[in-house]
Amino acid sequence: MSSPRTLFPALLLLLTCLPAHALDGDEILRQVDRKLNPESYEMYRKLINIEPDGRKKEFVMFTAKKGRDKMIALFLDPPSEKGRATLRLGDNMWLYIPGVGKPLRITSLQSVVGGVFNNADILGLDYSVEYRVEKLEQKPGAYLLDLKARTAAVAYDRLKMRVDAQALVPVEIEAYAASGLLIKTLRFKDIKDFGDGLRRPATLETDSPLYKGYKSVMLYAKIKARTFPDEVFTLDYLPRSGELR
Amino acid sequence: MRARVLALCTALLCAPASGEDGYSFDAGQFEKKPFEMYGYAELRADRFWLDHENALYQLNFFDSEQRSQLNRVTGALELSGLYRAGIAGVQATVHGEAMRDELGHEGEAKFYEGFLTLEPATGVRVEAGKRTLRWGKGYAWSPVGFVERLKDPNDPELSREGFVLLAGSVTRSFDGPLKTVSITPLVVPTTDRINEDFGPGDHANPAARLSLLYYDTDIDFLVLGEGARSARYGIDFARNLTTNLEIHGEWARISDATKPVMNASGVVTMQTADATSYLLGLRHLSERDTTTILEYYYNGAGYTESEMRDYFTFVHSGYAQFLATGDSTLLERARSVQSAYLRPTPMRRYLYLRVSQKEPFDILYFTPALTVIANLDDGSTSVAPELAYTGVTNLDLRLRLFFLSGGQLSDFGEKQNDRRLELRMRYYF
Repeated sequence: MSSPRTLFPALLLLLTCLPAHALDGDEILRQVDRKLNPESYEMYRKLINIEPDGRKKEFVMFTAKKGRDKMIALFLDPPSEKGRATLRLGDNMWLYIPGVGKPLRITSLQSVVGGVFNNADILGLDYSVEYRVEKLEQKPGAYLLDLKARTAAVAYDRLKMRVDAQALVPVEIEAYAASGLLIKTLRFKDIKDFGDGLRRPATLETDSPLYKGYKSVMLYAKIKARTFPDEVFTLDYLPRSGELR
Repeated sequence: MRARVLALCTALLCAPASGEDGYSFDAGQFEKKPFEMYGYAELRADRFWLDHENALYQLNFFDSEQRSQLNRVTGALELSGLYRAGIAGVQATVHGEAMRDELGHEGEAKFYEGFLTLEPATGVRVEAGKRTLRWGKGYAWSPVGFVERLKDPNDPELSREGFVLLAGSVTRSFDGPLKTVSITPLVVPTTDRINEDFGPGDHANPAARLSLLYYDTDIDFLVLGEGARSARYGIDFARNLTTNLEIHGEWARISDATKPVMNASGVVTMQTADATSYLLGLRHLSERDTTTILEYYYNGAGYTESEMRDYFTFVHSGYAQFLATGDSTLLERARSVQSAYLRPTPMRRYLYLRVSQKEPFDILYFTPALTVIANLDDGSTSVAPELAYTGVTNLDLRLRLFFLSGGQLSDFGEKQNDRRLELRMRYYF
């Protein structure tokens, strides 16, 4: 009979050698979040809407996020959108339009820019903050996660997420409305090293059966861990959020 | 060798991101620069269908050639600049406009803003110079907008000229139900050279705003001390009732609100009384991306229905006298107080409704809308269908048609035109 002295290290070894699929779904989702970006960070994104005839419209935005649910998204380009900024504090959202000159509270589902992208794409928080895992399936080289929105404030009621089992980054996400209607499919591509150990997809492609023939692409750049003062995520600061860059 | 590898790695990390499908993104060009400049050029064409029977046509056109239509072209240029140096920054906006119609032409350029900012720490700021403040939560009206120029509910998003002021601001964030507190004290000095259109006399005109985010509700307390304008204070709020429904409101108490009142005989008296104004509004977003904004506005300092009828009656009498005798004395007298009577929505009770549909029929960047402003005192209305298209990068196109209707001696029924077509092209750079 093994003594407890030898049993304990053996048990420890067994636990550390368990395959990743022994993780529960929510833990996998939390790891996916951290693989995509630090909890508090800044980043630049380019959104490209591509119309069926090949015409493109591009937007560039700067994003600052702190903790679970504080986020600012600021449009930098094109000039017609420059200065337009959205602040999110939990389920509270405000939109600042330079012409209007003051932040207006918007409903959390309000779109801040035309095109296939909506708020969920622009101001989405960590997946594990907005969704809980209802079902986890393991496939060769991938996890399939069925996610359900934690609150009605989340734009997509359900997500089906395919996660690369090794890299622990999403490969494809199908987004569904509460009615079961497929709203859009997101495809993560082009894994790149962003520095500081962050290796994640740099391209996100989106198409939607609601916009037949249209495609949207989001390119990520300069994702960096950064801690901002809380006072940055306030209505008073929102018009000056360009100073954060 | 190590240095070369390091240099190569650095170069790779800093290179513009480029996707497998050939998309490229050089984020470096969007980093903060010491100097930024931006703005827009605008061309607007208006056609007014004039109504000879209406009081404001008679008041505005009695001394010019009679016409049933007026065509106007307006060109505008707005330039904004920003210079940063450490904790300091200078910001300015210049707005120039030139207008030509069949009656003539005019133009002017103004500094809408031009101010210095010092920000020694995040959440602590001092501003000095000409600055446009926007207080309140209302979309079409802002009864608590104590230190700003009147908003035009037909175009609430238009940029407006500011006032010269000195303001400080301190903001602090907390955990718990009270998430944010922000206090902004300021002075808006008036002399015969500074802010002379804010009000008469030499005054400091102190004001302050205390803003809270408390239990997911935006709350502002606002006050303007006695000075060039009478003392006033107010409160506003906004919060989301559900994920697709927002509610907002404003309440203001104005002491000694003064307005000129002209009776049907043309006698002008200055009426002074305390007044209460308020606004209650909703913003709703449907599953089909239809946005509805609904606001009720009570303007306690506005004209009553009978006061407005008296003014229009006097204008009609003055016009009849002018036609009969060529004597324009009465109409000139009516013109002397027209700035009070002819400002946007000058009466007491109004309803604003705007319904806009984002990208119907899957037409990207296309937004049709309908705006209705109803005067609840006299039942007159302004109904404006609108088409907006933003599909061409940096070019906004907007076509609007205004239908004004109402009975005799009513607010919208006595405007100079019954209809107006407006095409606006705005190019941003």
